[in-house]
Amino acid sequence: MNQLLKRKSRGDMWFDIINYILLTLIMLLVLYPLYFVLVASFSDPNNIYSGEVWLFPKGFTFDGYERIFSDSSIWIGYANSILYATLGTLIGVAVTVFAAYPLARKDLAGKSIIMWFLLVTMFFSGGLIPTYLLIKDLHMLNTMWALVIPGAGGVFNVIIVRTFFQSSIPDEMWEAASIDGCSNTRFFWSFVLPLSKSILAVMVLYHVVGFWNGFFDALIYLNDESKYPLQLVLRNILVQNQVNSGMMIDVESYAAKMRVTELIKYGVIMVSSLPLLILYPFLQKYFVKGVMIGSIKG
Amino acid sequence: MKSLFKGAGIVMLAGAFAVSGCSGNGNGANNQSGNQKADFNQTGLPIVKDAVTLRMVSPKAALAPEFSEMEIFKRLEKDTNVKINWENIPDTDYAEKKNLLLASGDLPDAFYAAGFTDYELINYGKDGTIIPLEDLIDQYAPNLKALLDRRPDIKSSITAPDGHIYGLPSFEENNLGTNPFFHVINKSWLDKLGLKVPQTLDEYTEALLAFKTQDPNGNGKQDEIPLSFMHMQWCMDIAGLFGAFGLPDNLEHRVVRDGKVIFTATQPEYKEALNYFHEKWYKTGLIDPESFTQDAAQYLAKGKTTDETLGSFVWWEIEEVVGTERAKDYVLLSPLKGPNGDQTIGRANGGGPGRGSFVITKENSNPEITMRWVDQQFEPYMAAQIHWGPLDIVYKKDENGKLVNLPLPEGTSAGEFRQKVAPGSGAPGVITFDDFGKVVDMEPRAQQRAKDLEQYYNPYMEKENYPNIFFEPEELDKINKIEPELIKYVNTQRGRFIVDGGTDAEWDSYLKTLDKMGLKELMEIYQTGLDRYNANLKK
Repeated sequence: MNQLLKRKSRGDMWFDIINYILLTLIMLLVLYPLYFVLVASFSDPNNIYSGEVWLFPKGFTFDGYERIFSDSSIWIGYANSILYATLGTLIGVAVTVFAAYPLARKDLAGKSIIMWFLLVTMFFSGGLIPTYLLIKDLHMLNTMWALVIPGAGGVFNVIIVRTFFQSSIPDEMWEAASIDGCSNTRFFWSFVLPLSKSILAVMVLYHVVGFWNGFFDALIYLNDESKYPLQLVLRNILVQNQVNSGMMIDVESYAAKMRVTELIKYGVIMVSSLPLLILYPFLQKYFVKGVMIGSIKG
Repeated sequence: MKSLFKGAGIVMLAGAFAVSGCSGNGNGANNQSGNQKADFNQTGLPIVKDAVTLRMVSPKAALAPEFSEMEIFKRLEKDTNVKINWENIPDTDYAEKKNLLLASGDLPDAFYAAGFTDYELINYGKDGTIIPLEDLIDQYAPNLKALLDRRPDIKSSITAPDGHIYGLPSFEENNLGTNPFFHVINKSWLDKLGLKVPQTLDEYTEALLAFKTQDPNGNGKQDEIPLSFMHMQWCMDIAGLFGAFGLPDNLEHRVVRDGKVIFTATQPEYKEALNYFHEKWYKTGLIDPESFTQDAAQYLAKGKTTDETLGSFVWWEIEEVVGTERAKDYVLLSPLKGPNGDQTIGRANGGGPGRGSFVITKENSNPEITMRWVDQQFEPYMAAQIHWGPLDIVYKKDENGKLVNLPLPEGTSAGEFRQKVAPGSGAPGVITFDDFGKVVDMEPRAQQRAKDLEQYYNPYMEKENYPNIFFEPEELDKINKIEPELIKYVNTQRGRFIVDGGTDAEWDSYLKTLDKMGLKELMEIYQTGLDRYNANLKK
């Protein structure tokens, strides 16, 4: 280390120092809001709004969490979200990988045509109403399939995974394996998948985050409250904060809504983002590797 | 690249065919109820012998249970034998989902607590998406018909300009919103400083100044906020104070005097008020600068700081801002007498019945059953229960048969409880002014508010307001085109004039900009609408 420092020129050293300072600042900028939410979730809402909460909780209270943990809809939402995220990720990753592998192979006939078809969907989408009608006519309205199936296999992901396969699975490997009598399927399961853990991890993360944070599809397609994912439940609680014209008739229940909202807002953010915060470090080590290789143009 | 787009075109075309084909098949497939008229009873209950199911879409508050689990609807189902297949949408997302359903033609039998705007009523009525209801009302809705016969004003206000009734009314005629701006001052501070409750604007200004400089909360810090409000927000704005200059303001800047519509924000009184607020209040630091930016949560928190810091504010109810403990420190202020001796307070515009609270769509194959079902809710006792909550849960009947409030379950507020047991104020049903006191008691807090209005504000209140007028579609188009931008501009300028001053220098260019934005045309539309409305009333 000393050796290294000595060899550096004065300019390099300054560069490093400034770099570290800047990065630390950026890190604080990113971390502080998270920390604030944590602290605020234990504080009296009035203290938060009067700006008295800064580094430590003020008016320490568990009320918010008590309310959250006693609200059944939040737990139903939690269970639903876990179900949708698991199922959707399984389907999504499977479809992506199954689509990407053949496209990565040189011996697939009509490869460019298939690729075209896929690419077109990146530029043009059906729009909200046609998509809604399609889902309706497929009888997927108000079922979880409307959330997990239509979005499975995004073209962008397919391209990333395909590129990863192309660059990290040499053709020679398939030649060697096939000479030894390996079938296509066997090759895929025994060679390709084990060699692609990093990109699989990336895909899993993409999908899980997507499903965990998604609420719009649920908002559009689901009617039954018992099927709502967590984010939609939370959103319903949180967006009530807006003052709208409906209030003209009923100021009192507006204030009641708001009181509840204020009480549980921060706790709810903690509760909902915790799973991802926990998941992320485990997948992060694959992340750079997977995405970097996958994104190189092939 | 060129060839890619060619290919894309073909794909799109194919897709378009596929989609249109699908939707063609899909329409008409959702008549689960079928035609069961044979069972239908013209009068009496149940409405049908064998249960019929209707599909209804309705918004609900996020904390409320699904309507199918609400006691009030269970009772209705038992009485009528009409089962409702509820699709509840969180009220915050309702508008979006409603538009999607209407645009995609995925229609339920009816929208309940529908919140249809005038524009939607007319346009969807014209293209047949929702059906005219007046004949159905005549034949199948005795309760509603009786109400409309008794109250022609309600009938005229729900009738569209083309003569049809597309949406049913929703109305709690309690007149509590006539003056939403309850102006509050800290009485205990006044006492401490040896001041009396202000009667004039100048006394009020003195009091605010004393709040700021003389440390009435006694903590040695200058942390008092003499006056806080929320700029141009319902029930939290200082629009009421403009009345001290002779012309009260409201959120639309539109008042009526002797049948003439006046746009307040171009009048000399308005300018004088702005000058006063800037010179006497803002410049001297009496107005909380956050008044122009804060949201309701921040605002409410200001009343609940550890040391009492709020001197004066505007809100619907004192307790909500400062909490029940401190509420006794504060008192309401009657309209203040202005520098020229004016003392008046505005009357909020609109306030008539909501007219889009229930619509029946063309997909409904049982409109008679639907109308009879919803008519149950126009019976005054039922209307009250639909709006506030059912018997034995929220109300009990007293010896005169009037609905009186039961005590609330421990630890819940009235507003929160109400959401859980009833669809609430957007639902169909009319509780007229006469019904209060005879059929149903007002909630305790509403009674208090009625008393306060009577005592502090009604004597000074403007006589007229701009009623809730059903405009022609072309008029609505024009209003929608001009008004939002214009009001936004006026409000921004109002904030600037109060904060930065400069009315004298900028007034002319301000007026010119408003002219360019179509103020004159807008006011003409409003005047025409009002004239038509008044003519109709005399008929």
